Amino acid sequence: MQGSKVEIPLWLAKGLYDIKRRILSVELPKIYKESWRTVFSADANVVDLHKMGPYYYGFGSQLLNFDNPENPEIAQTILQTFIGRFRRIMDSSQNAYNEDTSALVARLDELERALFRAGQKGLNDFQCWEKGQASQITASSLVQNYRKRKFMDMDG
Amino acid sequence: MHVRLMKETRFSKQCHNFVCPVNSTFLIFILNLILQGDLGPFNPGLPVEVPLWLAINLKQRQKCRLIPPEWMDAEKLEEIRDKERKEDTFTPMPNPYYMELTKLLLNYASDSIPKADEIRTLVKDTWDTRLAKLRLSADSFVRQQEAHAKLDNLTLMEINTTGTFLTQALDHMYKLRTNLQPGESAQSQDF
Repeated sequence: MQGSKVEIPLWLAKGLYDIKRRILSVELPKIYKESWRTVFSADANVVDLHKMGPYYYGFGSQLLNFDNPENPEIAQTILQTFIGRFRRIMDSSQNAYNEDTSALVARLDELERALFRAGQKGLNDFQCWEKGQASQITASSLVQNYRKRKFMDMDG
Repeated sequence: MHVRLMKETRFSKQCHNFVCPVNSTFLIFILNLILQGDLGPFNPGLPVEVPLWLAINLKQRQKCRLIPPEWMDAEKLEEIRDKERKEDTFTPMPNPYYMELTKLLLNYASDSIPKADEIRTLVKDTWDTRLAKLRLSADSFVRQQEAHAKLDNLTLMEINTTGTFLTQALDHMYKLRTNLQPGESAQSQDF
């Protein structure tokens, strides 16, 4: 129906969006709107990005495909958010050793979580070396998984 | 790496000892080194420079006494630590592999090194200071959105622990920054 608002997936909106034919116009999700942008610029660290949309950065970048007058502000906010949250991610990922990290990553978006894991891996590898475990030869995770799969096949 | 052979150890006795053990490839390798004259002569009581692996191996067989490197000294390390804490930039380390060397030497030859525990703490302190500094400079690097930076005097071990994290973060930041350029936004969407 003409003039109605519908929620559709991003890929569909991208396909239908055409400046010349004007099939639809795009309204931003609220987290990318002006009001939330001010929140981000105040303190990006307090926002629960995982709740607001687990792919904040990726999705935000995709939104720039639509010719929106607010595009520069959105791009700027996303970048500043990343910069503002970077320190905390770095510190928590490099310092939490042998701890429960679920509370630390709960508020991070998926891109930040990948980053967090990279930091944790660096820390864990170093601790491993320091304890002298790095020289021990262990089975590759691929081999271990392969065995498990074989067992499952036999069950089936 | 300097080692000082124990007085009672003679070269022939060592050879004799080496023939018996199971590890014959190791023996041949060592004999090659010694007979070709790259290492030695091994005279009892005289310091000789050998590779670290050989020094530790000899030490484990109790064939020698290790002489720690010059910088591995509580006073000197204290100086290094204080300097590291005082300055904003990274100070040059006495050895690019200072962490690795301290760990190996303190693990296998802590009896040849005076004040081993103190040295362990000092090196660990220096390491912690340097890592904190690295994080601080990484943060200011990201905050100011610099395109490139130069970090002098970092050791491989330090680069290894934060390298993956930092490069990934900078990759993401680069992608987000290309979004800022209007018109080019379409090509940088592969998240």
